[in-house]
This record gives sequence, structure tokens and C-alpha cells, in this order.
Amino acid sequence: MKRIAVCLSAFAVAALVFFVIYDATASKPLSNSFFSMNTYVSAQVEGKNAEENLVEIKKIIENLDLNVLSRTSENSVVYNLNKNGESLLDAETAAYLSLLSDISKQSGGAFDYTLGAVSDLWNFGGTPSVPNEVQLSEALSHSGHEKITIANGKATMADKKAVIDFGASGKGIALDCVKSYLETQKVKRAVVSVGGSVLLYGEDEFTVGIRNPKGDSGSYVATLNIPENCVSTSGSYEQSFEKDGKKYHHILNPETGCPVNNGIISATVISENGLVSDALSTACFVLGIEKGFALAEEYGASVIFITEDNLIHTKNPEILNISDSDYSLAED
Amino acid sequence: MKIKLFKKGDIIVIAAVIAAAILLTFIGKSDAAMPVAEISVDGKTVETVNLYSVKEKIVITPYSEYNIKIIAQNGEIWFEHSDCTDKLCVSAGKLSKSGDVAVCLPAKTVITVSGSDVDAVVY
Repeated sequence: MKRIAVCLSAFAVAALVFFVIYDATASKPLSNSFFSMNTYVSAQVEGKNAEENLVEIKKIIENLDLNVLSRTSENSVVYNLNKNGESLLDAETAAYLSLLSDISKQSGGAFDYTLGAVSDLWNFGGTPSVPNEVQLSEALSHSGHEKITIANGKATMADKKAVIDFGASGKGIALDCVKSYLETQKVKRAVVSVGGSVLLYGEDEFTVGIRNPKGDSGSYVATLNIPENCVSTSGSYEQSFEKDGKKYHHILNPETGCPVNNGIISATVISENGLVSDALSTACFVLGIEKGFALAEEYGASVIFITEDNLIHTKNPEILNISDSDYSLAED
Repeated sequence: MKIKLFKKGDIIVIAAVIAAAILLTFIGKSDAAMPVAEISVDGKTVETVNLYSVKEKIVITPYSEYNIKIIAQNGEIWFEHSDCTDKLCVSAGKLSKSGDVAVCLPAKTVITVSGSDVDAVVY
């Protein structure tokens, strides 16, 4: 009799163990991926309403593209600014534009979201070509953050030929919109990647790989161990083409209108703010190491540069784990 | 008088049953550790390939607006050809590790290898 009781209690404990483990694994994160904003988006959410959260994240990003960022959607702020020279703004969009103008000023024009006329000449997203000097000089005369005025819920273009392009900041804005939404939800942990710009949201530390600029797309040179943050990288390996034996990449110097050529092949920025991480990764790439470090500090951000000679430059080596032996930490 | 709740034999029985429960829970999940490549077009999975078992060359031509040729062989998978202009998908190289991703944006075609050592890769 006693032996039966022992066996029954053993089964009860075993069932308990089984369900505790099963429940722990059942609350694994759910994920979703889709195309929006002309890029690949992936989202992973862990929490009570993860399935619902994933649906909402997709909606948020698609609506942001449709109503604000898209250059082809007739309802978007960018379309109206480029086509009609003005657009009404909601408070959120006005704040994004103001912050973008601020980064343009603080970076001395190294980040410029009015550079669309120049990037259209290069056409990296379509059939790329090398523009001539006359074309570049004409397009450059229609760029600069002073060409746009933001006041009383409205943005106005002083130069009708200036072209707004959120290519270097839209992904970060999308991360901020998703983050605002997640803050209203019971989400334990989430990782959202919009075309390689990443939002890390929730508890504990996250491990993020920095892509190997000279390797395959999945390979990374180092990992970052950081808490909740946004991380963006600008790299010369993305969107490039060769003409007459010369390689041209898509990160343009707003001063010359040509691809930046300063020895940097990748700049990664970590910030609490998605827009700041995205825009600063471009600005720091253009500015170079010393000025880039100074700009990042102004915005409370961290930056990690990788240079052509396989050196990694950072002021925060404590968060970095170099996993590829071809690369080493520079003695800055 | 001290009453002994369990005899030595009882404890062995309890331990064995609990160990079996834990073992059974994890046996069903052991497949998840193997790298599996998933090919999706416009968000829909069109093919999955277990990279652990693929040795001979497999050619996959998913239906999309572009002519795409994907090859899986010797535990690796890659975009061999695409009609797209930038060819970023082809230059992404061979994928084999958990977390590897290659994307052909114009064709909305993605190869992902399941699982990863990191939460995300920035690029």
C-alpha cells in the first residue's frame, strides 16, 4: 500500500516537473518577418500577447511608411514635401523632423536628409550610374537642412527642387514607433530588426553581432553585450557597384556628393533612440573617427568603427567581444 | 520516535521517474538544434531544407517575379543566381550557421537558417 502511495506521489512530482518545463519552453518568443519600407523586417516578441503584438508591429511599420516616409505613397509627408513643397505634420512627425535637422546641424551637414537629389543621380537602389560633376554640383545646390522649415504643425520647403529622403533615418524612426507601442504592452522581451537596424527591448542583456564588412552576410566580427537599446550600422559593403574597375558605395559625403572615402568600412551606433542610432551611424561614417566620437558623445551614444585595416575603434571596449581573429582593437 | 517518510528504495523510484520525465521533455526537442534553412517568398515559406542532412546538390527555383536559383549542398545554402540588379543576395555568400540570413529584396525572397547564438546582427 505504502509502495503504491510512493509511486503515485512520484508520478505527481514528475508531472509537475514536466509541466513546469513545458510551460517554460512554451513561452518561447514568437517571430514574424515581412517586407516594408523597401527592406526586410523581422520581429521577435516574448510575452503574454506576443501574437497580437507581432500583428500590431507590422501595422505600425506599414502605416509609418504609407503616411510618413514613403516617397511614392501620395498620402505620405515625404511625398507631399517633395511634390508640393509642404506638408501638414502630426506632433510625432514634427518631433522627428526637428531632431533630424538638429543632427544635420550638429554634424556640420555630415548627415543630410535633404540629399535626395544627389542620391537619385547615383540610383543605388535601381540601376546605378556615376553622375558627372555638373550634375552633382546642380543637385548639391538643392540640398541642406536649412531648405526645410518646421513650424506650427507644418513643414515647408524653401527650395522646390530639394528632395527629402529618409533612407538614412527611416529605419531608426520605425524602431522608435515600435518601442513606443511596446512600452504600452506587457512584453517581456522583443528584438525588432528593420533592414539591419535593431531595437532591443526588455529584460536582461542582449547579444548583438556586428556584421563582418568583408565576409558573408551572416558572419560577424564582434558581439556587443548590452541592455535595452537601439543599434544601427552603416557599412560600405551594402549597396555598391563597380564601374571601370572602381567600386562605388552608397554612403555619400554631402559636401562632394560622392561616396565617402576615409578608410572606414563600417560605423555602428548604440543609442536609446532609434532615430539617433540610425542617423548617427551615417554621420559618424562620413565624419571619420575623431569627429564621429565627439558627435556620438553629444547625443549620449556609443560608436564602434571598423576600418579597412581590420581595426576596431571604440571608446567602450568593455561591451565588445571580438570573435573574428582577423580583427583587433585599435589603440586609440 | 523518529518516523522515516521514505525508504532508500522509494527515493530511487522517485528519482528515476523524475529523471525520465525530464528526459522525455527534452528528447522531443532535440531536432531543434539542427540548422534548418527556410526559404520564403513575400513572407510565405515555400521550402525548408535540413542543412544537417543535405549532402548532394539540391537546386531550388522558388516562384517569384525574378528568376532565382538557390543551391543547397554539403550543409550550406546560397543564392546562386538572381535577375535582380544589385545582386546583394548572391554576394551574401554561403549560409550554414544558425542565424544566417540572405535577402533578395527585389524578389522578396529570404533564406534564413533557424536559431542563433546572438539576438540579432546589425548590418
